[in-house]
Amino acid sequence: MKIGIPKALLYYYYGPFWKTFFEELEMEVVVSEDTNKKLINEGIKASVPEICVPIKIFIGHCIDLIKKDVDYIFVPRMISIYKGEVFCPKFMGLPDMLIHGVEGMEDKVLTCHIESKSDDISDYRNYIDIAEKLALPHDKLKKACRVASEKWYRFREYNKKGYHVLEAIDMVNNSVKIESTKRSDSDVKLGILGYVYNMYDSFVNMNVIDKLKSLNVDFITFDMIDESELRKYIDDMDKALFWTFSNKLLGAGYKFFRENEVDGIIHITAFGCGPDSFLGKLFEIESDDTKLPFMTIRVDEHTGENHLQTRIEAFVDMIRRKKAKVMQWGDKIEGSISLYGDSSCL
Amino acid sequence: MKVAFPYMGTVVVYKKLLELLGHEVVVPPRPSQKTIDLGVKYSPEFACFPFKVIIGSYIEACEMGVDTIVTSGGHGPCRAGFYGEIHKRILHKMGYDVDVIIFDAINRDKDRFIENVKKVKGKNSWLKLAKAIRFTYDLLKQIDVFDKEIHRIKPYEEVPGSAYRAWQEIQKEFDSAYDKKQLKKAVDRSKEIINSIRLKKVDEREKIRIGIVGEIYVVMEPSINMEIEKVLGELGCEVERSQYLSEWVDFNLMPSFLKKTHEEEVLKKGEKYIEIIIGGHAKQTVGFIVDFKDRGFDGVIHLMPFACLPELVSQSIIPKISKEHDIPVLTLSIDEQTGKANNLTRIEAFIDLIRNKKLGKFVV
Repeated sequence: MKIGIPKALLYYYYGPFWKTFFEELEMEVVVSEDTNKKLINEGIKASVPEICVPIKIFIGHCIDLIKKDVDYIFVPRMISIYKGEVFCPKFMGLPDMLIHGVEGMEDKVLTCHIESKSDDISDYRNYIDIAEKLALPHDKLKKACRVASEKWYRFREYNKKGYHVLEAIDMVNNSVKIESTKRSDSDVKLGILGYVYNMYDSFVNMNVIDKLKSLNVDFITFDMIDESELRKYIDDMDKALFWTFSNKLLGAGYKFFRENEVDGIIHITAFGCGPDSFLGKLFEIESDDTKLPFMTIRVDEHTGENHLQTRIEAFVDMIRRKKAKVMQWGDKIEGSISLYGDSSCL
Repeated sequence: MKVAFPYMGTVVVYKKLLELLGHEVVVPPRPSQKTIDLGVKYSPEFACFPFKVIIGSYIEACEMGVDTIVTSGGHGPCRAGFYGEIHKRILHKMGYDVDVIIFDAINRDKDRFIENVKKVKGKNSWLKLAKAIRFTYDLLKQIDVFDKEIHRIKPYEEVPGSAYRAWQEIQKEFDSAYDKKQLKKAVDRSKEIINSIRLKKVDEREKIRIGIVGEIYVVMEPSINMEIEKVLGELGCEVERSQYLSEWVDFNLMPSFLKKTHEEEVLKKGEKYIEIIIGGHAKQTVGFIVDFKDRGFDGVIHLMPFACLPELVSQSIIPKISKEHDIPVLTLSIDEQTGKANNLTRIEAFIDLIRNKKLGKFVV
């Protein structure tokens, strides 16, 4: 049996788990192509215009998989992975959207409800719907979950040592052994806030990671930080956000802003992302209060990378100048330099 | 305490409850272009439209000197449940010294809920609070009956505009009722008002019934949905909404063992298309489309704020429901770009299509 896994949305977080899981169940796993222009266009055609680009991309990947002649496409219904929190409505309605909204998907979608108390989604009960549908014995399912879980933990371990998701996936697939944390000799360190599917899909973000690398900038993202550490910063809020991954970003953001460990923060968000409209506001308020440089990059299905190059370069330049000045005059200059053209930084 | 609240639908009701508890109540002005402009200016760009309108009317209320805003919360996944938190931060950042009391579901944080109730209750006894709530609930139930009736008969009025004049009078009647006896009188008076509207006789086969579904704020607040009910009435259609405040209260605030609401049934009808509740009113939206069809309606208009998270899921599925159940559905997404003419044209064309279909006159 051929199972398709779309290389989109939470593939960049749970991919290593799901891939191993289906392989353990003795299925042929087909991962869709990297996001590309053609695939994105298919997704756009099959979805409602106002929906956010990650969903359009996901639908594009599913269409790609249909063409690869898979028997089923794995589309989990992500409900909750933290007590009292949920996923964005679009994740919760994703199988419905595909089954009833995209032609030819009705019999192809293989789904299950994922509800868990933590990031660990390896409880076999999450996948019982799949076992029922494919007539698999429960002990086989349990074993597959166990093996997949081990692999996933290893992936997270690499990730938390400072290797970003793509590097970590690569390392876990090739069983690289590492002991220490990733080292860097860069003079500028940025906090990059963004969901995994925006951060690590190099097509949609126009290779932000490579751009940062070419500027010799070191960066840290939420996935490199331990969950308990992230939670520390939002525990005292009257009401945190409802969406788990938004809360992870919020925790990471507050940590970056308050701990003074990065020189600036970039928020990568998709056009029309609902949770991010609120998350971004909270960051803006925080940036006002802490005077740490903050920039939002909004991505959508349009591809024109020059503006992005310019904005990132300018942001990094500004930070480098600021640092140089601070070093020159010691404590004379405090706080940040306005992003809106404070002449003192030029 | 000088109190205000979000402006949505029949505001008489919230005003009444707070007044009965002895607060000085400021009803924010009906949302206008100015409200929207203010809201847009101080909101995140991609916040949903209701968020922007509501912050706009809070700002107007603050300018009128309120010191407290009472609103409802929520637990997601739709953004509306977090409105209060962000609104509060924005208002404080703007320098308004205003307390925002947010009522979340009681089981989220019991202590805070009780604390909030106490704040609103003030020096009143618990009995008085219970009585006030009971009275407001009765009033709400009654006023919604007339709201529905008005939009049923509006297309058949002999004198154009008489139904809406009647509706204004009815709201005034209810506004002046402060106890059971007065409420009964208001109900009787309202019946008289309704009966005094002269109606044309229209053949059953020529009647067109349109259901309105979608996100609660844009469905319920006429000032921001181009007064869609009125527009449809003028085009000769009976209109019923999926949302009435009393039904929202029944469904959301009544204990579950008393709950035998129509909404439960509707949710079942939506189950095939959206399996679980995904926030907002997405599942209700799809359920109500099926429900309206079952009840013999001729078409449905789906209203949603631009980029509304849950409604985008329903919008994705609507073409299939429309096909499977053979009922035309028009989706309109509403935001601060108030290009009314465009939407009105689409509505007119939609109604034309339904009328032609109904009369068997197909235009090819």
